Amino acid sequence: MSLMPFAPSRPLSIGVELELQLLSCNDYNLSSSAPDILRRVEKRAHPGEIKPEMTRSMIEINTSVKQEYSGLVEELRALRDVVRDAGRFLNVAVAGGGTHPFQHWSEQKIFDAPRFHHLSELYGYLAKQFTIFGQHVHIGCPGPDEALHLMHMLSRYVPHFIALSASSPFVQGHDTGFASARLNSVFSFPLSGRAPFVLCWDDFERFFGKMTGTGVVETMKDFYWDIRPKPEFGTIEVRVCDTPLTVEIAASIACYIQAMSRYIMVEQRVAPEEDDYLVYTFNRFQACRFGLEGVFIDPRTHEQRSIREDITDMLGRIADHARELHAVEAMERIRDILIAGNGTSWLRQAYAREHNLADVMQLQAELWMGK
Amino acid sequence: MTWSAYLPVWPLEISPALWLALTLVVAVLVGEVLVRQLRLPRIVGYIGIGVLLGPGGLGLIPQLPATEWRLVVDLALGILLFELGSKVNLRWLKANPWIAGTSLLETVATFVVVFLLLTWFDVAAVTAAVVAAIAIATSPAIVVRTVTESRAQGQVTDRLLLMTALNCIYAVIFHKLAMAAMHGQTGVSFIHTALQPIYLLGGSALLAWLFGITFERIHHYLGHHEETFSFVLFGMIAFATIMASTLKLSPVLVLLVAGLVTRYQRKRTRTFPPHFGSAGAVLVVLMFIANGLAGDLNGLRYSLLLVLLVIAVRTIAKLLSVLALAHYSGIGVRQAMALGLALVPMSSVALLLTLDTAATFPDFGSGLGLVLMSCIVILELVGPIVVQKALQIAGETPDKKT
Repeated sequence: MSLMPFAPSRPLSIGVELELQLLSCNDYNLSSSAPDILRRVEKRAHPGEIKPEMTRSMIEINTSVKQEYSGLVEELRALRDVVRDAGRFLNVAVAGGGTHPFQHWSEQKIFDAPRFHHLSELYGYLAKQFTIFGQHVHIGCPGPDEALHLMHMLSRYVPHFIALSASSPFVQGHDTGFASARLNSVFSFPLSGRAPFVLCWDDFERFFGKMTGTGVVETMKDFYWDIRPKPEFGTIEVRVCDTPLTVEIAASIACYIQAMSRYIMVEQRVAPEEDDYLVYTFNRFQACRFGLEGVFIDPRTHEQRSIREDITDMLGRIADHARELHAVEAMERIRDILIAGNGTSWLRQAYAREHNLADVMQLQAELWMGK
Repeated sequence: MTWSAYLPVWPLEISPALWLALTLVVAVLVGEVLVRQLRLPRIVGYIGIGVLLGPGGLGLIPQLPATEWRLVVDLALGILLFELGSKVNLRWLKANPWIAGTSLLETVATFVVVFLLLTWFDVAAVTAAVVAAIAIATSPAIVVRTVTESRAQGQVTDRLLLMTALNCIYAVIFHKLAMAAMHGQTGVSFIHTALQPIYLLGGSALLAWLFGITFERIHHYLGHHEETFSFVLFGMIAFATIMASTLKLSPVLVLLVAGLVTRYQRKRTRTFPPHFGSAGAVLVVLMFIANGLAGDLNGLRYSLLLVLLVIAVRTIAKLLSVLALAHYSGIGVRQAMALGLALVPMSSVALLLTLDTAATFPDFGSGLGLVLMSCIVILELVGPIVVQKALQIAGETPDKKT
């Protein structure tokens, strides 16, 4: 099977996908209620899309294509409200966050659809352990080569996106010590990691052809890369973020990526190099483990600083682009995260106060749904 | 010194407690066999052994002293009722009024069809009303126990717990009103006919509320120390049960509403261990054996047809009511079938109401009471299996047996 041609899309347009947790209101454990929720939301008109995910305690909301922060956050709020109301009707709570703090993977049930059953058979328990919740951000690209350029340039900043969105410290009842423990689950998939260093679409098609020839992959969906091109949308898709604790943060992080992409396309204009990836896994690990406090090594200058400092520096450089994109409010929220901490620090503070992960989960759900 | 000074006298004088102890061991073993070999719920074994060995069956176990048993049964039922109440989220009714509607429809339909059936069999209207009221209640004991055992969770499970709590409350209320009507017929003045249910309902609600807020205070103070907490809770449940009987209130209503009140007032949800710890679990097992021992199938001789018809119309009423409003309340047909069937079990609450009626009106105990007792025994044995299968059909039990 050959790769789909790269569809045209409006440059710098954005779209967000969020995977959400469905919880029982009795004990705030995950609840296999996706079929009930989906049946309920079918009846209500809403923007974007609401879809099933791998296991029945997950649900995904997708926005339509947006140009700027205000429209994006408005649509995310509308989607959140539709799912929340369906949840209330069914005694199900909805929450953000990258992991559920105490669910047991063996109790998860695979959603009844051929693709999910196929994946479950292929990956075994990994599929059920994949009950983790991420945010995917699509950025529209003027063409396929530009998309690959943007993908490799954004890779340098992957630690930013991880640290800002991190909200998964707890797994299976324990504090893992990681800011984003969710990504550890992603890394166990054979085709995770980064895309190969290929700069033009023809080469990429050749790479894809070779991979399908080996029989390892069938579609782009089989690559679990941190950033991957999405030819049918004409976008690249940043997939490293945890689902944040509120839709506002989700929209702000999407717009941070958008403003950075504009900076890369319009102002920076440097070519990516293979050696940019020398520090890639180190930096990414630092972001997963330590969040904003993690060490960031610049691949070109070899300078060391904290991820927080690198984001502060980036916010200064992209300020004009953010203004052009009407994303000033989003940048303010990013600055707030640098000061007040990410979702992981919110969750750890809540746990220090409540001493009980079910209570933390309840607070997390209340925060997501809004009062 | 003679032999008899230190050797036991033959024949041995065996206290009934010894038989009871033995029954406990046998019943638990039978329960395990059912789970492992046939994948049936354990409680079928507990109740079945009770029925089989008790006075109603082979008669191996002599009649046990009622007062001592009663404390065990009351305490265990109290635990289960309180557990049920504290699992139920009343706020859900506000978000989804269709569930309240389904519950009301199911209650009224059950009452009406059983009432009509009995009057068609030339039963006096007031007596028919008492039986119909008792038929409303789904067994909280069987429901809570089976849900716990099968580790089910989901829409059907949540609704089953909620609707069971509600229909027990309705059953107690309908039953008191019907009893008041019976009193009216036997020539008690109107003022007592009217005041008795009001006293009973108002008093029970007040006691439940006091229990609920005291419990929350104590729970808040003790925090998460599970063991201490379950001791205090058993004490409180025993106290409330005895207090309710002393004041001639309804222990069923008090404990159930107390559970609802604690859950309603709580800011954070709490999960308690099943039956609030292993002591509670032992009491629950004893209660099911006791229910089996009290089982009386003489009603089948009295009128087999009537027993079967009561069970049939009651089941159909509950099933159709849930199906009728399924779409509006947000569940599919398969889920509605499961829910409707899972509402079928009858056990302790119905048993207590029947015994209460028989105590006041001895004629009832030797007549229709027998029919009701037979329905209870049958639905007690079949009920847990039906609930378990229903939850499996609804896809709410874990994928793999562990």
